[in-house]
Amino acid sequence: MRASLVRGKVSLVAGAVVALALLSMGFLSGAPLKAAGKTLTVVIDAEANRADEAEAIAADLRAIGVQADARIWEWSALKDSAVKGERQMYLTDWGSAYFDPFDLALPKLRTGDRGNYSHYSNPAFDRAVDKALTTIDPEVRRKAYYEAQSILYEDAPWIFGYYLSETEAARAEVQNWQPAMDSRINLHDVGLTRGDTIVVGMKTDKAVSLDPAMHRERDTETVLRNMFDGLVTRTWDGKVVPEIAESWTTPADNVYVFKIRKGIKFHSGEALDADDVVYSFERVLKEGAIGGRSSPRKGLLGPLEKVEKVDQYTVRFTLASPFPVFLQGLVHIQVVPKDYIQKVGDDEFARKPVGCGPFKFVGGRLDDQIVMERFDDYYGGSPDLPPMGPAKVKRAIFRMMPDPTVRIAALKAGEVQIVQQVPPDIAASLKRDKNVQVKSVEGTRVYCVELNCAKPPFNDARVRRAMNYAVNWDRILETIYGGTATHLATAFLPSGFGFNPDLKPYPYDPARAKELLKEAGYSVK
Amino acid sequence: MRRTHVQILERVLATIPIALGVAIAVFIFMRLMPGDPVDIMIGEAGGVTQEDIHALKTELGLDQSLPVQLGRYLAGLVRGDLGYSIPSSRPVAVVILEALPATMELALCSLLFALVIAVPIGVVSAVRQRSFIDRTSMAASFLGISMPAFWLGILGIIVFSLHLRWLPTSGRITYGFEPATITGLFTVDALLTGNMPALWDALKHLALPAATLGAGVAAVVARVVRSSMLEVLRADYVLFARAKGVVERAVTIRHALRNALIPTVTVVGLQVGTLLGGNMIVESIFGWPGLGRVVVDAIFSRDYPLVQAAVMVYALTFVVVNLATDVLYTYLNPKMTL
Repeated sequence: MRASLVRGKVSLVAGAVVALALLSMGFLSGAPLKAAGKTLTVVIDAEANRADEAEAIAADLRAIGVQADARIWEWSALKDSAVKGERQMYLTDWGSAYFDPFDLALPKLRTGDRGNYSHYSNPAFDRAVDKALTTIDPEVRRKAYYEAQSILYEDAPWIFGYYLSETEAARAEVQNWQPAMDSRINLHDVGLTRGDTIVVGMKTDKAVSLDPAMHRERDTETVLRNMFDGLVTRTWDGKVVPEIAESWTTPADNVYVFKIRKGIKFHSGEALDADDVVYSFERVLKEGAIGGRSSPRKGLLGPLEKVEKVDQYTVRFTLASPFPVFLQGLVHIQVVPKDYIQKVGDDEFARKPVGCGPFKFVGGRLDDQIVMERFDDYYGGSPDLPPMGPAKVKRAIFRMMPDPTVRIAALKAGEVQIVQQVPPDIAASLKRDKNVQVKSVEGTRVYCVELNCAKPPFNDARVRRAMNYAVNWDRILETIYGGTATHLATAFLPSGFGFNPDLKPYPYDPARAKELLKEAGYSVK
Repeated sequence: MRRTHVQILERVLATIPIALGVAIAVFIFMRLMPGDPVDIMIGEAGGVTQEDIHALKTELGLDQSLPVQLGRYLAGLVRGDLGYSIPSSRPVAVVILEALPATMELALCSLLFALVIAVPIGVVSAVRQRSFIDRTSMAASFLGISMPAFWLGILGIIVFSLHLRWLPTSGRITYGFEPATITGLFTVDALLTGNMPALWDALKHLALPAATLGAGVAAVVARVVRSSMLEVLRADYVLFARAKGVVERAVTIRHALRNALIPTVTVVGLQVGTLLGGNMIVESIFGWPGLGRVVVDAIFSRDYPLVQAAVMVYALTFVVVNLATDVLYTYLNPKMTL
């Protein structure tokens, strides 16, 4: 009696284990069995700002007989669940700062990497991207990236999505203004036909810090790059050009030697030399170097190991291994004054920052407005970004205006002269305002639908490809983004190094999608 | 009277366990939420490696077990150390003290705006029940309750800032007008230092957000004043006052309104909570650098120390406002005790 009871319990437990195993394989939850092939059932997870898109994708999938529903999440909760492998398909996006797939396709798709929420793994892809990262020969790198793109296209770990163009606007009185792909707002180069104060309406609700080494946020950098310069900078379309550095050489694949421009002064009056450059980089590299805390910007420098002063105006950088995107990373490290920081301390420096950029800090608050005034002793900036010399406007103010409608209202009312991020639906009407100029620039963020490649149904490449054929991106993007979005063939951006322009995006082909689903054993409409 | 003082002191001391309880509850709830502050901060930034992420977690002590983290946090609290905000590395106390005056100024002005409008409307509506004024103002108050702040705010900006150009679209004060800091409330500081241009500029910036935030409160208060006035006006002592031959205006104000204010004070006390907590939308629209925006942002970035401290500030404000409400009761109705 007792034994049979125990056996009963054991069989109950065994049954539960089998049920759980089936459940985890997706048999019970995802795809109920049917005589003529199973119906594919998917849940499309998205954040609220992309709800319309998720609904549209679900409608396209339902049209071919997939049972699809959209569900809305808060981002961190969704990401947490996706990383654990609990989700099926999810709308995500990922930005790139290097104009190279190094910080886009690699972290997103290399086996086990930090951004690989789709749990995609293909050793051939890993080999290709690793090859592109360990050599500095551009031809070898390009070939490797081309190969990686072909592999991705076939594997289709995502429903490949799109990138957006970023639209900004300025008042007509602003001259020589051009939005930049890396979101820099270079107020040194702009002039005003009327007035001497330029106010920028920022899309963020706060800058994170006034210390250029203590944040990892693009908008904060946008503000700070008007007070701080780096060894190198970028043109608006992503080319690296010298700034504080006069020139550089690469005596070995892993060594860079920079000559520093003479006669550069910090806002405090100190002259800038090799000591300040070395100090600025050590501050970022060394753990706990900023008042006991470490800089979150270290990763930007890759395998940089050592920064040494060669003479008063020469600095040598030695890397542990070749890092082909090193110069792109350098753009994001700003030079700070060694003597000043050592005198006043890191906290005081973050309150009253001193740089060598075209504007000096006057006052303000991170979540309100940050006010700067022209630095008259400015060395002139990058010769590749004319005009040289001190800034044209006397005062620059960055105002935090997170609400897009209010930013545009302030622009129209003349309270601000430049605004970030104009929503597509407002851009069209704003273009008709003759007091305003509207310009767009290619964005550096990829938007996609990631598929959980580790579990059924999306561990089958045929099903993943079917999803790519089933979504009518042209219609979705036109409806939601009004022509400001461009459909992508893979996870590579045209603005990044090694993009293969011959690879065309998956076309909208529901018939092909249905064929592939049938092949994979699913019923279709 | 002495007894009242002792009771107030007791109530103030009682806030200590409340603050502690709130701190522990928020500490636990924040960590139950999925997502990780370091991941949100640098997890998707260019060039970051898994090692960088682990190193930063270790530096911030987030790799420790929860009891250890809680212990460290409470030990810090006892010393008056609220910790550092995770993404910005700035002291939490500084972040909060910087944002608090802006929120308080906005809340107080909204409240003032609401009371100045709502009490007379409520009184007149009750005295002239079912009149044209009554019907219009009650319809308007219904609209005020129903209208969402983001819509009302943007409407106000379009009308008063864009078309009429009377008021600025957003911000707290024009650069260059800031008064010397005494309390951190620009209007008060400007008055104290006799800085009239600053006062005028601050008031212009305050007008739209305060009206937007105050509209909902005004609507609620007007309805409460009206209904309690209606009740009181039918009470025997009002009839008696009238029978004594007291002038009607004095009856309304001294006898009726004072008693009708008791339920109103309760409602206003509750609304102060709404004004402090529910203003993140208004703060976002008007680029108002207050605590609401700080908290929302901190929640999304899982900035544990900042959320914990800010919620504690909210909780303490609630307690203090409740206490003030109770003290006010005893003043309005001496029969009541704390």
